[in-house]
Amino acid sequence: MVHALRRAGQRLRSGGSLISIRPHETQLPLVSIITPSRRMPVARLPTPGFDDRQSAADAALERVVAERRFALTGIRNHRYRSLLDNPSQLRTYLELIIPPRPRFPPGRRARLHELWRSRPPGSKIEIAEWIVVTALRRR
Amino acid sequence: MAAPLDISAYPPDGMEIRLIERFTTLKGRRILEVGCGDGRLTFQYAPTAREILAIDPDRPSIEDALDEQAALRVPNVTFRVGSIEQLPARGAPFDVALFSWSL
Repeated sequence: MVHALRRAGQRLRSGGSLISIRPHETQLPLVSIITPSRRMPVARLPTPGFDDRQSAADAALERVVAERRFALTGIRNHRYRSLLDNPSQLRTYLELIIPPRPRFPPGRRARLHELWRSRPPGSKIEIAEWIVVTALRRR
Repeated sequence: MAAPLDISAYPPDGMEIRLIERFTTLKGRRILEVGCGDGRLTFQYAPTAREILAIDPDRPSIEDALDEQAALRVPNVTFRVGSIEQLPARGAPFDVALFSWSL
């Protein structure tokens, strides 16, 4: 990763911006059932191997700043939500994520189906995800 | 016939661009996008950028992007199969390098 950032630095003009958009390292995707009157969190979805990859990305960004190739301009976290009509759409949603994909912890998928079967009319499944935008400026 | 499902695991269109533009404008800029995939994000900012080189190592994704480019008639984007490490170290400088979900 650090090689990719260095090469990007070679191709940026002085003062140019390097922007990274990626999933948040610690805020795991959260699946909830939204009824007309309440929100019922069901599970946070860990992604196997994700921590190592995100740590490597963080280390690479810190490295090119430490090398004084770039200066940190800022970091912003942002949450976005998707509303789905049923568990089948949730399965499709998760399959659209480039591997490695988040997974339900043991027992939580069954819990989702249990809650979904007893849902009041008008309920939805919500998946909330967090992204982090990191901005660097080429020195 | 059932309506097609409109499901995306990415943020809603425009959200990422608004976040990026809190740090730098993309308007009128020469942009290098690394990990462009099928051009999902590229086509959101292409109308205002000056010129874009969008690269991704996944050939099928680039082929999808080229199909979409032809359909949308977007003239200022060059899609290329490859990684940033394969990009020559020297060349016309970019104003912005965008790593879209690719670090």
